[in-house]
Amino acid sequence: MISRQRNDQITRIGPGTDAGAVLRCYWLPAALEDELAHGDKVPVNLLGERLALFHDDKGELLLATRVSNANENSTHYPNAKDIVINTEGPTYPVKIIKGAIFAYLGPDAVPPSLPNLDCFRAPDSHVFSFKGLWECNWLQALEIGIDPAHASFLHRFLEDENPDDSYGKQFRDKTEGANMPITQVLREYPSPDIHVDETDFGLKITALRHMKNELTHVRVTNQIFPAAICIPMSREMIITQWHVPVDDETCYWFTMFTSFDKPVDKKLMREQRLKEHSLPTYAPLKNKSNNYHYDPEEQQKKTFTGMGEDINVHDQWAVEGMGPIQNRTQEHLGRSDVAIIRYRRKLRAAIESVANGRIDELPMRNADVPNITGPLSNDVIADTENWEHISQQADTTRRADCPWDATI
Amino acid sequence: MASSDNTGKWTVIATSAELDLPRPVIPIVLAGEQYVLFRDDEGELGLIGRHCPHRGADLCFGRLEDNGLRCAFHGWHFDRTGQCVEQPAEPIGSTLHTQIKVPMISVRESDGKISALVHEE
Repeated sequence: MISRQRNDQITRIGPGTDAGAVLRCYWLPAALEDELAHGDKVPVNLLGERLALFHDDKGELLLATRVSNANENSTHYPNAKDIVINTEGPTYPVKIIKGAIFAYLGPDAVPPSLPNLDCFRAPDSHVFSFKGLWECNWLQALEIGIDPAHASFLHRFLEDENPDDSYGKQFRDKTEGANMPITQVLREYPSPDIHVDETDFGLKITALRHMKNELTHVRVTNQIFPAAICIPMSREMIITQWHVPVDDETCYWFTMFTSFDKPVDKKLMREQRLKEHSLPTYAPLKNKSNNYHYDPEEQQKKTFTGMGEDINVHDQWAVEGMGPIQNRTQEHLGRSDVAIIRYRRKLRAAIESVANGRIDELPMRNADVPNITGPLSNDVIADTENWEHISQQADTTRRADCPWDATI
Repeated sequence: MASSDNTGKWTVIATSAELDLPRPVIPIVLAGEQYVLFRDDEGELGLIGRHCPHRGADLCFGRLEDNGLRCAFHGWHFDRTGQCVEQPAEPIGSTLHTQIKVPMISVRESDGKISALVHEE
């Protein structure tokens, strides 16, 4: 449990807030490149600010303040012709990277360099970007991504699908090193031993599920400071996902799916996801207003939640069900929440550094940032004695076999 | 509990028919607070806080099984008194669950009506 004051401090992100000041020290995804088709001005609602993308006189893409009124919906998305730029308001730099438009909202500081993450290094053909709206605070959205235990419950399938039908879906592949679908490993070994290591980008989170015959399932996921995770999706692909605040009670997930093998089938990936979302706000069709299509009979027979097979919907239900801003004065964290505890400690340290004007003390704000590569994100089944080496080896092999230069 | 009867008032919160569902679990709001009402395998009623005391997930979508309600987020299991009886993601042998209890309100059922013992503020 934490105090109400502490909860406000780490969740609220508008101009002048503590956590908002930390997030403003980093490049964050603000829109998808696809949204530029909206017109000569594209609305962006980010960190409690009402903004719009447009090209200036020199043809440079910029993010500027737009004229808005206080009654607007948090995801208000006006037509291009109705957008008026507020020339008094701040203007922010943007970068288009692999289908996502990143923005830097730190008004008084120089933007940091970007780390050399796999999703930024891979060629356009091997990265697919998409986003989706969640109606809750960004921090609870991020925290579910650094909680390796929940996959054994929330995403439990009471029966396993044929992994051959698994393209573009999470947890449906077989693990490397064993002929067991990951869904079965997660179901049979629900209490992982979780290790958290401090890294130059944030946290490396290793979940060990000790199985029979001296074998261990090793799943490595990562927290990339301040608002992203990097996790394996299949043997071919990883997910790098930001949780970006629209305002205090609404956020977008932005995901860059990165392939280490074949070019990404972007048409299929986009079609799969557009079927579940409505444009232009990318709001999910399954949501609180329709109980996420909850089916008690399915919950009894097929899935742990009764909300279908899309794990994104499970996550959305879990985090939206906590309320607009999770009331952490009532929570009871356990051993399985060790990465969440470590992350909050880093966030509070960053808040203090920013408050004291020492931005260079923040993670990923120094000259070495372009040298940050990876991170390692994979699922393997290994000899228990040798798990660390085998996880590392699987990453090295995947990188060596990759058609683009993924070496680190 | 007996002494608190003096300050509490039995208030009808639902009818038995409303719980006559294949999965007898419904949300209840009392004095602005959110609860979940369910019938366990023994046919007894439980009226407990709606948000899981772990990370706040919504117990109205929990799994009604093993004579209680199981949170769909990490499998924490609660009996009708609100006591946490299982935390399957915690290390084997952990006794953390014995310290965890969700707010519980006494309920009784008669003549097709379900009443809760509501305390005046």
